[in-house]
Amino acid sequence: MAKILVLGAGISGHVAASHLRRKLSKDHQVVVVSPNSNYQWIPSNIWVGIGRMKSKEILFPLAPLYKRKGIDFIQAKATAFFPEGDATENSAYVLVEQVTENQKGTAEKVTYDYLINATGPKLNFEATEGLMPGKNKTHSVCTYTHAEPTWKALQNLIEEMKHGKKVKILIGTGHGKATCQGAAFEYILNVEQELRRHKVRNMAEITWISNEYQLGDFGMDGMLLSYGSNIMKSNQMVEMVFEDRGIKWILGAGVNKIEEGIAHYENLDGEHKSETFDFAMLIPAFSGHGFKAFDKNNNEITDKLFKGFMLVDADYTAKPYEEWTAQDWPETYQNPTYKNIFAPGIAFAPPHSISKPRKSKNGTEIFPSPPRTGMPSGITAKLVADNIIDSIKKGKESLGHKGSMANMGAACIASAGYGNFSGSGISITTFPIVPDYKKYPETQGRKLGKTFGEIGLAGHWLKLMLHYVFMYKAKMKPFWWLLPE
Amino acid sequence: MTQRISKRKRFWMQNPVWQFIKFIWLGLKVMLIVAGGHGSTRSKEYQKSY
Repeated sequence: MAKILVLGAGISGHVAASHLRRKLSKDHQVVVVSPNSNYQWIPSNIWVGIGRMKSKEILFPLAPLYKRKGIDFIQAKATAFFPEGDATENSAYVLVEQVTENQKGTAEKVTYDYLINATGPKLNFEATEGLMPGKNKTHSVCTYTHAEPTWKALQNLIEEMKHGKKVKILIGTGHGKATCQGAAFEYILNVEQELRRHKVRNMAEITWISNEYQLGDFGMDGMLLSYGSNIMKSNQMVEMVFEDRGIKWILGAGVNKIEEGIAHYENLDGEHKSETFDFAMLIPAFSGHGFKAFDKNNNEITDKLFKGFMLVDADYTAKPYEEWTAQDWPETYQNPTYKNIFAPGIAFAPPHSISKPRKSKNGTEIFPSPPRTGMPSGITAKLVADNIIDSIKKGKESLGHKGSMANMGAACIASAGYGNFSGSGISITTFPIVPDYKKYPETQGRKLGKTFGEIGLAGHWLKLMLHYVFMYKAKMKPFWWLLPE
Repeated sequence: MTQRISKRKRFWMQNPVWQFIKFIWLGLKVMLIVAGGHGSTRSKEYQKSY
């Protein structure tokens, strides 16, 4: 009998746990540890943030589902890793701390034969002074608990605009190394459309602020894509949309401090500037959770497991940007020291950024960190689960399932406004996610045709359909496994 | 505000009939690209494709 411990119940952790449970007999134990009691479909949070969806539509409680499916669930947060056990516990374990009201703070050793670390990122608001959801007129749509009050604040602002107040709205990234530009991009377009719907668009100045060097970088170094019969750069496409919607932009901006209605930032020229606002939604920096690891003798071995995020089978050798290759990116997400530990999704440490690193004249790093969205998170979680299943069934290590982000496609169906007939979406697919400049030298590292963009109502319908499909799949309803990640 | 998308283009972008056809096409295309497989970049097979 094997015991598989999954840390985290986001897209990656939940996908891994559900596939493990379906494919392994009940002789084997699947345990999920997560501080969250609910599963949430994060891509729909932007619609909660404009009041077009209720948070209950994008979440469901995990405990009843896991109980029904035979997955053990502990509502707790991981605090330390003991991959060799300790003086009194022979098995490898993770020290967790209960978070439920009646057991808060209680520590527990959860042992495992295989560990999947799917803890995702820590939303590191503290990295930017004064950036905190609900404070200093800044808001967030990173979680449903953030998105609900964000809508209330936006709703109040719309009321003030209806009474004649002119406002400034600032949306984008809140740190020089922040990522997830896609979510901010969707939110700014949705806010713009909602203001038009409420007939107050002329009362607002909307500005995009980002650490990207060019529009449409998205932390992926931008892309060359097919658009109808044309070939277009992503910065041209986003510029077209922003100009058409009357959205201004500030690029190469590393936001470093927020005061009440003021964002201070440094740009790539080394200038320190500020931008005032009445409402802001700024994505924070992502970071690892600061886990510690110890060996059997209680010596700290954190550097064998973590480099911020978890170390996996990537090439972490420090080398110049020009020498980065597709082969640097991990394929099995297995920790090189402890072969029974894996980190799919956002939990693994990327070997380097995808966008070209840039520094301001003062030496401040201002460029997006690599994004890892829902689709690759799900794909990498499934392949990790499949490798563990094969290893258990064969009785020896099996790593036949591989998936490098440099040999994997992804779709970004970005909502550009909600509405059955007035909605819009910008559908972008990219293959591969991490550009392979050697394989596709003429097309900026990606395969044209498989890297394409489309704008229109169909994109909105597609994003809405994906919402319902993935909620169905996450609830493990009949034949859920037939739906791809 | 600068008009960068022509009225004609915008009409087709929001036309429900045309967009329904696009919806089917987009859904299939996305499915083919994303579910169309993933793999290693270190394998000999992949390296041969250079």
